[in-house]
Amino acid sequence: MFEFIRKLFQSEPTSRNQANERLRVVLTHDRMNISSEVINELKTEIIQVIARHFDIEGVPEVNLISEGRNAALDINIPIKGR
Amino acid sequence: MDKKLPESKVIVVTSGKGGVGKTTTVANVSSALARLGYTVAVMDLDIGLKKLDLLLGLENRVIYDIVQVIEGEIELKKALVKDKRFPCLHMLPAAQTRNKGDITPEQVKDICEQLKPDYDFIFIDCPAGIEQGFQNAIYAANQAIVVTNPEISAVRDADRIIGMLLSAQFEDEDIGLVVNRLRPEMVREGNMLSIEDLVEHLSIDLLGVIPEDKNVVISTNKGEPIILNEKSAAAAALNNIALRLSGEEVVIPTFQEESVLQKLKIFGRKFFPTM
Repeated sequence: MFEFIRKLFQSEPTSRNQANERLRVVLTHDRMNISSEVINELKTEIIQVIARHFDIEGVPEVNLISEGRNAALDINIPIKGR
Repeated sequence: MDKKLPESKVIVVTSGKGGVGKTTTVANVSSALARLGYTVAVMDLDIGLKKLDLLLGLENRVIYDIVQVIEGEIELKKALVKDKRFPCLHMLPAAQTRNKGDITPEQVKDICEQLKPDYDFIFIDCPAGIEQGFQNAIYAANQAIVVTNPEISAVRDADRIIGMLLSAQFEDEDIGLVVNRLRPEMVREGNMLSIEDLVEHLSIDLLGVIPEDKNVVISTNKGEPIILNEKSAAAAALNNIALRLSGEEVVIPTFQEESVLQKLKIFGRKFFPTM
């Protein structure tokens, strides 16, 4: 509901939103002491491993997300059914 | 001048990035606590780049410095500069012609231990950076105030500092966030990080929000503490931080409420983009 209201009141991405987005990425990487290059490499490798066993469909996603001061790997790989 | 609290609080004020308002915060929060009747000692650990004496307006009264105390040249009590406006406030100046490496964290702790019997609050003004000066400043403290600005580079540095504090002796609840130089109108326009955003990124408790206020520059020019200016929004915020540190529960205004006019404007833009 709050999200809906926020969207209604914000027609375009503001510089505040951009700052938040950039901070989210940079802080997660800083805390993990890991670069976005390594994350991209990891993403490719994970998708390769999964692709060996399944047919991947759509756009697979591998993201480092933060939960408070801790981080988690968020992996979302859609797989084709038979 | 009597000590009120059974247990002294040793508070380091730090930020990582320079120029965010650490020393202004130390000078004013310590003055405010002294005005409330607490005994307060402030220690400038920015050796080589001292500022606290200027912000307190005490630069002409400095005779000795912390390095001379540590090297045993002068007694601690003689080096403390007394503030005429606030009899309960004493400052231990930094040395201007020495280096951060001339003192150690243990020596700073030793000074704090000597101060504890006489002071309720001991503030340590930490230099910018994460090197020796930072290590000297945090070792003796049992609480930390992290000062930041609603600006990405300051937030990134603050995050690094919080990480370092948490790997040292501090727990989450020992660290308080002070956001300085907030411009509420820019937040409302969507052009500045909000308090909510900052707390979400940094995941520590909010201790205070100081709005941008030109009175701060004016007071600094004069060498007067801003907290005495009753018309200043920054002064109100700094006085509230002092009250909170003394244990009082004071609501923290986050300056986020949108006026009806502003809401209409934003709403209007959504449906009539040419407006």
